[in-house]
Amino acid sequence: MRRFGFFAGLCLTVLSLAPAPTLAAQEIKPFVRGSYQQIVSARQGKPFIINFWSLSCGYCKVELSMFRELVRKYPQLDLVVISTDTYEEMESVSGTLEMFSLGKSETWLFADSNTDRLRFEIDKRWYGELPRTYFFGADGKTNAFSGKLEQKDVEQWIMEQYGFR
Amino acid sequence: MDINNLAIALFFTAVTAAGPALAADHTDHGKQDAAASSAAPVDREALWKKSLAKPSLAVTVDFDENGRLWLAAISGQHIYVSYSDDHGITRSAPVKVNAEPENILGDGENRPKIIVREGVIYISYTQGLAKPMTGHIRFSRSLDGGKTFSQPVTVNDNLEIISHRFDVMGVNNRGQIFIAWLDKRDLSAAAKKGEKYAGLGLYYAVSDDEGKSFHPNIKAADHACECCRVAMAMDTDGYPVAVWRHVYDTNIRDHALVRLDGKMVPVRLSHENWNVAGCPHHGPSLSIAADGVYHATWFSNAPERQGLFYAYSADRGRTFSAPLNFGNPEAQPAHPYVLSLGSRVYLVWKEFDGENTGIFGMRSGDGGKSWSVPEKLADTSDMSDWPLLIGTNNQAYLSWNTKNEGYRLIEMDDENK
Repeated sequence: MRRFGFFAGLCLTVLSLAPAPTLAAQEIKPFVRGSYQQIVSARQGKPFIINFWSLSCGYCKVELSMFRELVRKYPQLDLVVISTDTYEEMESVSGTLEMFSLGKSETWLFADSNTDRLRFEIDKRWYGELPRTYFFGADGKTNAFSGKLEQKDVEQWIMEQYGFR
Repeated sequence: MDINNLAIALFFTAVTAAGPALAADHTDHGKQDAAASSAAPVDREALWKKSLAKPSLAVTVDFDENGRLWLAAISGQHIYVSYSDDHGITRSAPVKVNAEPENILGDGENRPKIIVREGVIYISYTQGLAKPMTGHIRFSRSLDGGKTFSQPVTVNDNLEIISHRFDVMGVNNRGQIFIAWLDKRDLSAAAKKGEKYAGLGLYYAVSDDEGKSFHPNIKAADHACECCRVAMAMDTDGYPVAVWRHVYDTNIRDHALVRLDGKMVPVRLSHENWNVAGCPHHGPSLSIAADGVYHATWFSNAPERQGLFYAYSADRGRTFSAPLNFGNPEAQPAHPYVLSLGSRVYLVWKEFDGENTGIFGMRSGDGGKSWSVPEKLADTSDMSDWPLLIGTNNQAYLSWNTKNEGYRLIEMDDENK
């Protein structure tokens, strides 16, 4: 049963990959004080997902492959991906993101050596554990989640928010 | 191009599946490994190497019997030991521990350990290896008062290039050394058989000859959480007690405790039921008082039970007091540390107010039953090490290194002084 699920997922990925255009290297914006507010207020009233990850987080990579699949399956999905690595690691972050090729998703990278300060602006209740994901509903309802997400839960949220059946 | 991307994406999945426990992940090891073999792991290794080269703020300290402060810190690819007779203000010329350069892990939950007993300086640390998230547990000692150090030896007797990391060390008054660490050998064995294994193992090794040699490794527990520091303290009878974050059921990451006496079965210490498939990087702390009471502190981010917790046990860890939730929940209380000196108990932790990181502390005069109001002991506006507590001569100190101010040793006040 599990095995079948895995292969089904794999086939889907391959199929949806075929027509995807080749994208140029993605722009990665420096995430500084105020960036979070900027990201959130630019999307008021619309559903979106913010995902935090880092190079050293194994579970994050699994989650990025899931998002890779989801942005193809649901092109409407507004996904913002923020790396909590240092700005000096831009090259590595950029290389990793290219591998996951997240389509038109906005990508950011922490650019303040005081990561505590950045985290505090984002969410006082977040202690830096990764992956960390925020679901912003169109109705303004926000859900925070630590740890690797279950794909079915994310898909359910997407369908609810974007009005899929 | 796209197919290449797919192969690389699969490679990442495979690497992580072979690494941390992925109980919630519906993947198949065998198939993924086959896909992985077509993609070169060069990039990930380069990332790991870069991360190894990051400067470390970790400073670990111990007092010897004469009140001299000994410090272990990392510079480049070496550990350096120095001492101070004026609470860290001036220090002796640092002496290199490892003569050959090594990647010494010193970020976040990793730090070299130093213990000084009866003129012998004991050092343990984790050596980062070439592959991501792998390491060996290393040990060195000085028998000439810190003038020279022995060539470091590898303590883990499984030498696969896998994770043996997050070392912790204890020395008792029989001259025995105990080193415990988190070890992926059972995960590695399970993966080879196509089986699953949650988390990793807690292993330890004992030396009966002041570190000249170590007995074969012993497994203390299966299914520890992958990336949180392990805490260790010596019980009054000279057996060490270890506390660590454990994986219960599928992904409940609460704390466990075991006395390393070869008899005790690990018991569950905390019950926040934090269900998280991720890396908290946030381990516990333990101190054992002269009266044999265990004092433990830890962090949880369970939806209903968030923040820092403290509890004590008067029956050698079998049962604990109702956990006390402390720290300002609006200021990210983090990385708690506990020290007991007789019936006095001290707690320190980090808080962040939006601008500055502060170290807060509180004390108990009655073995942890009642506590003073938290007060700020020090702060900084940039990055800093985790706070530690050490005691000498019945006096407790906060030990803290910051990027801007450097190393500080701060006396902990007592009410009756």
